Amino acid sequence: MNSNKDYKAIIIGAGPAGIGAAMKLYKSGVKSILVVDRNDRIGGIPSFYKKKKGGVRTFMRWSRGGYPVFGEDFAKWLESLISETDIEVKLDSQVLEIDAKKKSVTFVNPKDGKVIVSADAIVMASGSREENIAERKWLAGARPSRVMYTKQLLNLDRNDLLPIKKPLIIGSDTIAYAAAAKLKVAGAADAIIVDNRSNPTCPIHERLYFRFWTNPSFHGFNVDTMEIKGKESATGVLVNGKHFDCDGIVISGELIPNSELALIGDIKIDIPSRVPVVNKDHQLSESGWFAAGNILGGFHGAEWCYFNGKKTAGSVLKYISKS
Amino acid sequence: MNKSGKLLYNSLNDNYEESLKFKDVSQLGDTPYDVAIVGAGIVGTALAYKLSQYKVKTLLIEKNYDVGEGTSKGSSAIIHTGFDAPVDTLESELVTKASLEWPNLAEKLKIPFKNCEAIVIAIDEEQEKKLQVVYDKGIKNGVTDIKKLSGEEVKELEPNVSEKVRGGVLVPRESLADPFSSSIAFSEIAMQNGTDIILGVEIIDVENKSEVIKSLVTACGKKIKTKRIVNVCGLGSEKFAKIYGGENFDTNPRRGQFLIFDKHSGTKISRIFLPIPTAVTKGVLVSPTIFGNLLAGPTAEDYPHSFETISETTTEQLQLLKEGASKLYPGLNEQPVINIFAGVRSNCTQGSYWIRCNDNSPGILTVAGIRSTGFTSSPALAQYLIYKLKDELGLKLEENPDAIDSRPENKWPGWWKPRYNNKEAVKENSDDGKVVCYCEQITKGDIIRHLDSPLKPRTLDSIKRRTRAQMGRCQGFDCMVNVAKIISYHCEIPLEGISKRGPGTEISSTIPSNN
Ligand SMILES: Cc1cc2nc3c(=O)[nH]c(=O)nc-3n(C[C@H](O)[C@H](O)[C@H](O)COP(=O)(O)OP(=O)(O)OC[C@H]3O[C@@H](n4cnc5c(N)ncnc54)[C@H](O)[C@@H]3O)c2cc1C
Ligand SMILES: Cc1cc2nc3c(=O)[nH]c(=O)nc-3n(C[C@H](O)[C@H](O)[C@H](O)COP(=O)(O)OP(=O)(O)OC[C@H]3O[C@@H](n4cnc5c(N)ncnc54)[C@H](O)[C@@H]3O)c2cc1C
Repeated sequence: MNSNKDYKAIIIGAGPAGIGAAMKLYKSGVKSILVVDRNDRIGGIPSFYKKKKGGVRTFMRWSRGGYPVFGEDFAKWLESLISETDIEVKLDSQVLEIDAKKKSVTFVNPKDGKVIVSADAIVMASGSREENIAERKWLAGARPSRVMYTKQLLNLDRNDLLPIKKPLIIGSDTIAYAAAAKLKVAGAADAIIVDNRSNPTCPIHERLYFRFWTNPSFHGFNVDTMEIKGKESATGVLVNGKHFDCDGIVISGELIPNSELALIGDIKIDIPSRVPVVNKDHQLSESGWFAAGNILGGFHGAEWCYFNGKKTAGSVLKYISKS
Repeated sequence: MNKSGKLLYNSLNDNYEESLKFKDVSQLGDTPYDVAIVGAGIVGTALAYKLSQYKVKTLLIEKNYDVGEGTSKGSSAIIHTGFDAPVDTLESELVTKASLEWPNLAEKLKIPFKNCEAIVIAIDEEQEKKLQVVYDKGIKNGVTDIKKLSGEEVKELEPNVSEKVRGGVLVPRESLADPFSSSIAFSEIAMQNGTDIILGVEIIDVENKSEVIKSLVTACGKKIKTKRIVNVCGLGSEKFAKIYGGENFDTNPRRGQFLIFDKHSGTKISRIFLPIPTAVTKGVLVSPTIFGNLLAGPTAEDYPHSFETISETTTEQLQLLKEGASKLYPGLNEQPVINIFAGVRSNCTQGSYWIRCNDNSPGILTVAGIRSTGFTSSPALAQYLIYKLKDELGLKLEENPDAIDSRPENKWPGWWKPRYNNKEAVKENSDDGKVVCYCEQITKGDIIRHLDSPLKPRTLDSIKRRTRAQMGRCQGFDCMVNVAKIISYHCEIPLEGISKRGPGTEISSTIPSNN
């Protein structure tokens, strides 16, 4: 195909999904591929899980017999894949906006400044984040310090700082239990886990896995409101008249897609879930735009996202060859 | 050339350079202040700014670790015209005056400002009847450019308004401005003109209050000499007035909760949607914000001072708020909420803008009840207080020919005018191309410029209000730690010591991690 575009394919996000997509395209002979990521390294979320002696491995390699690895190692593996190719990777590069019709993305980085590049096909693999306090709708109360999201906890841990001794975790999925284990390993007490549902989201076999490091207590509710307490730093959570003490709160799980580029670029997403609308060929509402990984909603492990990236790349290949 | 004022912080932790630590009153010199302004909200900082145009030795003192952290940080951020203010009151006079001053003032101060207009909206027959009252009051308040609109006309201007709209009143000069930058800009200029600023220090007593030279006693036990005291403590004004024995008045905190919606929601309506006001409150409005979001609020909930959780949000009230606001803009229910917050108005039983000169002691000026229009009125109120200081408290006013009254062009905040839009900027300073806050697209360059700015902000919240980093949809999920690291590295503060808003709010309870 002859086109006046800068690249054959651009991939937004160098996490598991983005790298999966890039690798598949590369191996299928696509020549000019650009991967853009705002982080300073390849690997997405896994790269925030630092490898530590006696630490908790939270990333499963199902395809290799189902053993757990450190996120950092998973990220390094992704990086090693890329290093053997001539795929162009721009790090520290934030995509500011997109033009759906022109199939272009505008990004900025410290070296090149603001740049607009276009491609025949673009894959959004920008992952997800955790729902914030307001988005959960049943959380309110005070605004003390030491109320953090899991990624903040992970990022502090990467800097060898674990900020809480007596943790309370709001949310009960795998990420929450992984955070509880991480905190315990670093010297904190067993966490109190509180959620607005009667049973933990984290499946029983995973909870048993984390039991090796920690035995957090779970308290399930079904309420309209939970209040964060604390004048200076967080001191607890008040729910149904019951006060749970802590010296810091981790607000965990409940992933929500990083789909704002689609939203401002007039590509269809569902509100309030923010899940982009995709067809069976992984295509978004605008021609030439695709999505892969946790931007598609829900909670998926890194390896699933990697393979999902590959699958999406299959559809991209079909699209490129047809056009 | 002016001699810049001193900046001092109460040194409860090591987050401030030695030279910034308030250790001893001798740091302030021997001469007593002409005026000590207690409370650095929008009113106190505006007063410091206007007063700094004269040769007056001024001190601005605040208990929080930044200016504008009280009521002033939690408002609807509308620059009102005063069309609905109580007629023939000081409030109406000052709001009307200030609303004319703001466009030019904002330009001088480099405060983002947008004249977006407002529409008072009637959605049932009873409300429709009240539109005439709203209109007449506006005219009486001197807001002569207001205009009555039919239901159809409202729909034409605002296609997303409620289907039920029966009419409205257009208020062309209602505007939006950045409330955070305002107290900061006022303070920075005042300081450059010689005003001393002390942050993190609460005033707990006044000694020798009947004498010409009195002492402000700080919670940390220091005594600061001053000839005049201005109590602009907002919600704290009643407590402070009791300390120096001012005339009795009662303030009743009135909480206002807000919902903030994501950026793209801010494009759904282009004007401020106001309900028909009632005797008690202006009611729940829906408005774009200067930052590009959409805002709904505030609630009006009265509580006694003893109500400890006054500044907290509650899901119940927020739900009611959403229901109320969606009467004006039904599409609100489909918009994603990204933040909730509460502000507290200081409602004074004795009346709004309750001002007492030589309040049972010579040289003390009490300002209370700056309830729901203080952001707008602040420049005019400041000028009014200056006349009071002159006429009634014996302050000599001599203009300071060297005083500046504006900030330079490079003070426009990065979120308003991103540096990276100019290619050369990133070449000159690569930090201007490094986005740290992804949601608001705030760069490392922006953050560092603010760390180096006159008030030397060192807390996460002070950087948040200046740059907007952590103010977006992810609420710091991605950038909080990276912002903390930039502060830590640039200011040589250990990471665990970085705080949200001063001592006691550090991000860590410090335990060494194993490795
Ligand atoms: C806090 C948290 C903890 C988790 N913990 C685990 C765990 O322990 N085990 C597990 O298996 N899974 C975990 N997950 C799930 C995780 O999302 C997946 O494992 C996997 O990382 C998802 O891959 P992805 O490529 O879809 O997204 P991500 O890994 O999130 O990668 C997305 C990439 O896109 C980049 N990006 C996004 N927007 C832009 C933009 N505008 N411009 C430039 N770059 C952009 C980001 O910087 C990021 O590198 C966790 C998720 C979260 C949010
Ligand atoms: C919900 C809500 C919506 C609003 N909407 C608008 C609007 O749209 N437009 C508008 O114009 N106005 C609005 N307002 C009103 C406006 O926000 C206030 O009038 C204004 O902020 C009051 O400023 P202030 O300086 O008097 O008080 P504050 O900002 O509270 O400042 C007082 C300062 O004094 C300090 N202090 C107190 N006691 C002491 C002490 N003993 N020692 C040292 N320091 C002390 C406090 O820490 C505080 O920083 C709104 C207010 C609320 C609550």
